[in-house]
Amino acid sequence: MIDSTTEVTGAGGNGPSAPAVELTGITKRFGGIVACDQVDLTLHRGRIHGILGENGAGKSTLMKVLIGLVLPDAGAIRIDGEPRTIHDPLDAASLGIAMVHQHFSLVDQLTVWENVALGEAGRLSSAEVRHRVTAISEQYGLEIEPEARVGDLTAGLRQRVEIIKCLRRDPHILVFDEPTSVLTPEESEQLFSTLREVVATEGRAVVLVSHKLDEVLHATDEITIMRQGRVVARQPTQEADARSLARAMVGREVSLRSERAAFGLAEVDDAGLEPEPVSPAEPETASPATGPAESVLRIEGAAVRGRGGAVLLDDFSVELRAGEIVGVAGVEGNGQRTLGDVLSSLVPLNAGRVVVNGVDVPAGSPGAMAKAGVAVIPEDRHDSGVVLDMTVAENLLMVNPNRVARHGVMDKRRMVETAQQLIEEFDIGCSGPDAPLWSLSGGNQQRVVLARELVAEPHVLVAAQPTRGLDVGAIEYMTDRLRQTAADGVAVLLISSELEEILELADRIVVMSRGRIVGELSRADANLETLGLLMGGSEA
Amino acid sequence: MLIDFFSAVGDVLSSESTYINGALFAALLAFAATGEWVAEKSGTLNISVEAMLLSGAFAGALGYHFTDSVAVAIVFGAIGGLLISIVQAEMSHRLTADQFVVGLTLNILVFGLAGFLDREIDPQATFASKLEIPILVDIPLFGEALFGEPWPFYLLYGLVPFSWWLVFRTRWGLELRAAGENPQSADVSGIDVNRRRRQSIYYAGLTSGLGGAFFLFARLAAFDDSIIGGRGFIAIAAVIFGGWTLWGTMGGCILFAGALSFQLSLQGLGYELNAELLQALPFLVTIGAMAIFAKRVRPPAALARPFIRGLK
Amino acid sequence: MTRGARLTEWVAMYVASIVAALVLASVIIEATGGDWWPVMEALVDGSIMAPGRWGETLGVAVPLLLVALGTVISAKAGLINIGQEGQLLIGAAFAVYFSFLIGGPGPLNLVIIMLFGALGGAVWASVAGLLRFWRGVPEVLSTLLLVTVSAQAIGYGLKQDWLLLAPGGDRGNRNQVSSQLADDNRIPRPDIFGNEFPITVYLALAMALMVAYVLARTVWGFRLRMLGHNARAAQRAGVSSTAYGASALAIGGAFAGLAGAAMFAGGGFSFGNFQLVPGFSDNIGWTGLLVALVARERALPAVVAAFVFAGLRTGAGFVNSTGVESRITDVVQGLLVLALLVPPAVIFLRDRRRARAAATERV
Repeated sequence: MIDSTTEVTGAGGNGPSAPAVELTGITKRFGGIVACDQVDLTLHRGRIHGILGENGAGKSTLMKVLIGLVLPDAGAIRIDGEPRTIHDPLDAASLGIAMVHQHFSLVDQLTVWENVALGEAGRLSSAEVRHRVTAISEQYGLEIEPEARVGDLTAGLRQRVEIIKCLRRDPHILVFDEPTSVLTPEESEQLFSTLREVVATEGRAVVLVSHKLDEVLHATDEITIMRQGRVVARQPTQEADARSLARAMVGREVSLRSERAAFGLAEVDDAGLEPEPVSPAEPETASPATGPAESVLRIEGAAVRGRGGAVLLDDFSVELRAGEIVGVAGVEGNGQRTLGDVLSSLVPLNAGRVVVNGVDVPAGSPGAMAKAGVAVIPEDRHDSGVVLDMTVAENLLMVNPNRVARHGVMDKRRMVETAQQLIEEFDIGCSGPDAPLWSLSGGNQQRVVLARELVAEPHVLVAAQPTRGLDVGAIEYMTDRLRQTAADGVAVLLISSELEEILELADRIVVMSRGRIVGELSRADANLETLGLLMGGSEA
Repeated sequence: MLIDFFSAVGDVLSSESTYINGALFAALLAFAATGEWVAEKSGTLNISVEAMLLSGAFAGALGYHFTDSVAVAIVFGAIGGLLISIVQAEMSHRLTADQFVVGLTLNILVFGLAGFLDREIDPQATFASKLEIPILVDIPLFGEALFGEPWPFYLLYGLVPFSWWLVFRTRWGLELRAAGENPQSADVSGIDVNRRRRQSIYYAGLTSGLGGAFFLFARLAAFDDSIIGGRGFIAIAAVIFGGWTLWGTMGGCILFAGALSFQLSLQGLGYELNAELLQALPFLVTIGAMAIFAKRVRPPAALARPFIRGLK
Repeated sequence: MTRGARLTEWVAMYVASIVAALVLASVIIEATGGDWWPVMEALVDGSIMAPGRWGETLGVAVPLLLVALGTVISAKAGLINIGQEGQLLIGAAFAVYFSFLIGGPGPLNLVIIMLFGALGGAVWASVAGLLRFWRGVPEVLSTLLLVTVSAQAIGYGLKQDWLLLAPGGDRGNRNQVSSQLADDNRIPRPDIFGNEFPITVYLALAMALMVAYVLARTVWGFRLRMLGHNARAAQRAGVSSTAYGASALAIGGAFAGLAGAAMFAGGGFSFGNFQLVPGFSDNIGWTGLLVALVARERALPAVVAAFVFAGLRTGAGFVNSTGVESRITDVVQGLLVLALLVPPAVIFLRDRRRARAAATERV
């Protein structure tokens, strides 16, 4: 292994060796759209290179080219000065390139060591793999039990397994794709110090792909910024500042709070920008709801057990009043999905109840929540939000087809008219009401969901990770819509693992950990630090 | 009536032939179920196991017809099963046609083809020679059933542990399980999910083909297109019954084979019980067992879900 | 790609697949010492050309189409019902039992036969529905296993004179046979151009139109399709997978049962002599299932497919005279279905690849 400790933070002056990776002129088209357009990227050993960009800027595609999941249309790849072609992840692995995935490449039902061994070649020796796992975990302070089932681990530990899985192959080049989305702030800090060590003592090259400005500023040595498939800026981190980076990333001056939130800049300035919510904006959480008429949604002591008795939701209680936005903060995988499922009539409760407008709603009974006026923008729209094989019009009418039906027969003309109207109102990009939903982009699919849910005039809107995977324009649109919805008197439950998004939108915040509420704060009392501590599991 | 029934059950249970037949049926089911278990671990469900068994039996008959050697015929049988599994695997896990549709069609096609060729060629078969393991064979009741069977029977004693080893101790098996539990993750880890799935189906084809040929030479010595008669489906049920564990699957094979053999022995011993009920018994037992156990077991998470990269 | 080019491509791929299947079948015939051309000729003669044959073919097509329509409905709900053979048989048994139990004048009895046929099929399919939605047994296996059980049940019923067995005087020297349906209770078959034209053709066609309409236009059909495509989205939108799934299975079974009733009251063709006998279903359930699969689970294409498969069956009767074993038609049928699976799969794969490439945000 090359020892290049002296190069760690040097901004200029390359080391004697050839760059670890040189990508030149990488171009990738998907249909008519260019995901990567003549992208150049140079990675050096001993440095952490940040790639910054909005969702959809082409960073993921670029990384997929590097690890062999996507073949470029044009461009050249040089590894340690040698020209190479990377056909699949195994090629990449053999060249010493490894990636820690955003949404994990782990198999829940396998053990830690089995997951680590997955995707390697050669004879399988469990003793050898377990031994290496232990060795790596000691070396980097990534404590883990090799025989544990991955499905039983927390998100932070799962990421450890991912990292060990990567390090075991002793890669020269390590790619991290949005690594902090599943971590508490504390865990993120720990990750970055591990990274620093990996780079400093072993001379590996690390790529950190992120859409969070402060993270990139904090943890990298040099930065490449991408926008709409192109590299728009490249500079040593020392010379960069948040404002100029944000400008380069978006292509214009950043002023809207929602955009700042999206980049992780929520704490930069806090005053004055917040639009007055119409809600009663009651900061004291101690005072109980007085009149039941005010309370729109009440969840009392909700508990859900999964297969094998796993606790998914545990004594979860929350109350929402009309016009109020309540944020549910928490690291991913702490019961948020189950909460969303309960409010989508997908999962019955083992204990507790859900009350909407004073009426008990049977959780898990098909359509009961929707009928009671609970609209949902689900975390994974492909799971329960849309039907990919049906048309836009059909998707817009899923919850209430009777709107366009008489005597149980749907009126084709009215259906198209209604759909057309919503397509215009919500600016849904599609070839028409009859376009199959799978032909739409992710952002437009999300708008279909939003349109359908809002047009039903709900009492409650549950928005689970509503801006995930959207570009800045779409994020802005979504946050405005949520705010507007609350202003119209709807109680909004915002479930998000993006703290900035919650701080940005919520009037009141509850923090979730391991299926429980571990703390409740008014917006005034909440900041990244207090939330971070709570999310980490320390009870309030 | 009831007393008659119990005395009949008593007679059946104390008759050695019940166990001998039971072992043959269990072996037929176990050959197929072992392979299908491997295939299901990778996330595929192949109702064409029935066709693979039938094809194995017919190919075995052909093999003997042309070579006069049971050993060669058994190899023919395995190849016969493999051929069907290749069609199944290529159609469903390369071309992404629906695996049930392909399986069903293969069942019908092979039934027709075997019936047609049987009448055109009329291959002859024979009984495979028995191999008795000294001392063990003398154990009362069970001895002959477990240690005095036609020689291909003993392949099973190697095949089952080997399959377990393959799935749980080799890299191939690890990748197979990953493909069956979380194909997206397996894909990202650099595993060709559909390739592993195809290979697992080939394995099912090989073992089912063996099973079909075994049954031909162990029990009937003459091919008939009803030789398998839906027992491939029972083998699949055994895998479900066993909760996708190999030992549970073997338990299912033994239970269902018991029902098959019980029916046979009862008739053999001259009891005039309701013939139709007896014929339906193995199937009723299978359905009943699944009704009791199906909800308690956890299938591979991606069982019977096709994997197409980039598509959920 | 233009619509025209797309259509041309589809047609070309289908024609190529069908030709490939026929060539393969011919190779098998030649390899076993037969001549392929006379076999093909016999198939065409036996299904359409020879006197009276297309009426015969229509008579087979009716139950095939009915079975296929039921399959379409359960498939749309995302269920894999492959036990039509048994559902048909139980439907026929219900029809026989209640027809003789209730009696009544001709047309009325015909209605009873049809209604109870459908009921019988629905009951039998509902057993699988119960197992599926109450006990979690995969319907693909339970429907399959119930086929054997149904055959044995009918065999049993045909031995009991309080169930299906004809009274002593009526059964001659046969020991497992039901009474014969009286002349005036049978489905009318007016003579058209020397062919006996079963009026149930109208019923089957009307059913096909109805199924197509219900699935495409009604709220019920809409919700059923939603369930089939994405059960969780459907559940959230208020579609109970149990209620909709179980009724789709029951309706699917009802169609198969109706087919059984039509075979009983339509008699004459290959289905016995207005009597129930062991083996009465004669693979019509299986073949009807294939018809639905070939039509890719759509009602109107199933009409065409049903006629083609009926033709293969009636044509088979003429194949024996060529010296080739008539079961070759089963082979032709299987190869044909297998071949027809290829074009849609290939085109699906290609379209998906394109769509995926186009939707950059999901990359």
